[in-house]
Amino acid sequence: MIYRLWYFIRETVVSLWRNLSLTLAAILTVGISLSLVGTSILVREGADRATAQFQEGVEFIVFMNADHTPDQDVAIRQVLDTSPAISQYAYIDKMAAYEEFQVLFVDKPELIESVTPDVMPPSYRIVPADPDAANVAELARQFSSQPGVREVATATDAIRQIEDFSTRVSQVLLVAAVVLVVVSAMLILNTVFTAIGARREEIEVMKLVGATNWFVRIPFMLEGMIHGLIGAALAIPCLFVVENQVLSFFQESDVVPLFRGFAVPDGFVWDTSLWLLVLGGTVGMLGSAVAVTRYLDV
Amino acid sequence: MIRLESVSKVFKGDVTALRDASAEIQRGEFVFLVGPSGSGKSTFIRLLNREEVADSGRIMVAGKDLGSLSSWRVPYLRRNIGCIFQDYKLLSKKTVSENVAFGLEVIGRPRPVIKRQVPAILELVGLSRKADRTPDELSGGEQQRVSIARAFVNRPLILLADEPTGNLDPATSVGIMRLLDRINRSGTTVVMATHDRGVVDTMRRRVIELDRGVIVRDESRGVYD
Repeated sequence: MIYRLWYFIRETVVSLWRNLSLTLAAILTVGISLSLVGTSILVREGADRATAQFQEGVEFIVFMNADHTPDQDVAIRQVLDTSPAISQYAYIDKMAAYEEFQVLFVDKPELIESVTPDVMPPSYRIVPADPDAANVAELARQFSSQPGVREVATATDAIRQIEDFSTRVSQVLLVAAVVLVVVSAMLILNTVFTAIGARREEIEVMKLVGATNWFVRIPFMLEGMIHGLIGAALAIPCLFVVENQVLSFFQESDVVPLFRGFAVPDGFVWDTSLWLLVLGGTVGMLGSAVAVTRYLDV
Repeated sequence: MIRLESVSKVFKGDVTALRDASAEIQRGEFVFLVGPSGSGKSTFIRLLNREEVADSGRIMVAGKDLGSLSSWRVPYLRRNIGCIFQDYKLLSKKTVSENVAFGLEVIGRPRPVIKRQVPAILELVGLSRKADRTPDELSGGEQQRVSIARAFVNRPLILLADEPTGNLDPATSVGIMRLLDRINRSGTTVVMATHDRGVVDTMRRRVIELDRGVIVRDESRGVYD
């Protein structure tokens, strides 16, 4: 068994070296396409986190002062409960706000340590009956003059723009990525095909002396898989660069009030990396499997 | 060891390679296949190690019915059959001993076994001193010896030879035939397709003559014609 393993490794490495330029082309294409796949996922996730509080129809949020009085709460609630302009609302207390803060800043423990539930501003997330921008702005203005209110954050055009922008960017990236993944699979197919051609005589002898079909196939399938895996490994550092970019984009933007700097946590990037490795390995296996079955008459 | 019952093989374009051929070859026999080019000798050989499949009739090799042999078993059949060719089919980038070792390596033989068997077989074919040469540094006869070493190192039951002396001068051919004779005497069945009148007339073994795919003569201790 150990001899076979050694044989497969040796043959695979020799073959990778023999076709170095094609091998590099295949690996780079896999790397680029998987970087795009990963970027698309990260942008989507970053935008989801950045706009997390403004989902499910919430158009504006009334943040209370951390030290506001119960009377002030009652006054606000009265308006919310009676006004026909308000469709529904949810109250986020200090504890819930603190928990959400912990989720959003999971990769910034120093930030989490610097706050306690006490200092978190409770808030009302409000779904207006009429989501028209002018109407929302008017409601926001009214609430901001109420006693005990610290700030009113509206789902401004800017937030909608982030969503639109990220949706469009991630879709374009995804389409480009799908095309490139197909291109990489074909490039791997071609590389493996060339490798098979370079070893036609060896394969003929192998079949003559009674090597099993799997014995003939495995080095080529390994070769394709290695293209995919190395390509995916190249995409991983790219993901971390993108993560920093996405992070700074949302951190520096002024459009997300109070909760700012929603980045994608490292853990999510690692998870994505793992999927890219799986995807790369699979694409490589598929490409070489097609090459092996089509061109390796065994 | 080998039995053909009414075997026919027709290639595309209605080229009949073999028609209603029947023959039985016993263990340890040495058989020449003779006949003009295109008479079906190579097809006969290729049917025996299942590079080709017969259109009709039955072929038994080493106890296996090749017609019903599933394709994943074919490699195991071939481990019992050594093959040599006019063009040797050696790997030019490997040395003599690597070429022989390759045949063992790819059927999963352990390294210690390979290390023991390769020098022994090179000794048998008389190439011990050239173990580290590459094929293009050898004469035709020496290359054929390497090819025989690779075919025989696994001690197959049957050795198939397709024109093994086709590229060799008469003196060198004699050496190759001596080697094949020696292998045959160790109990291996040898089937050899040839054009080489001198070789057949000298050896005086069983001769099966083919003409346009039909067996027209089968005599023991025969001559070329």
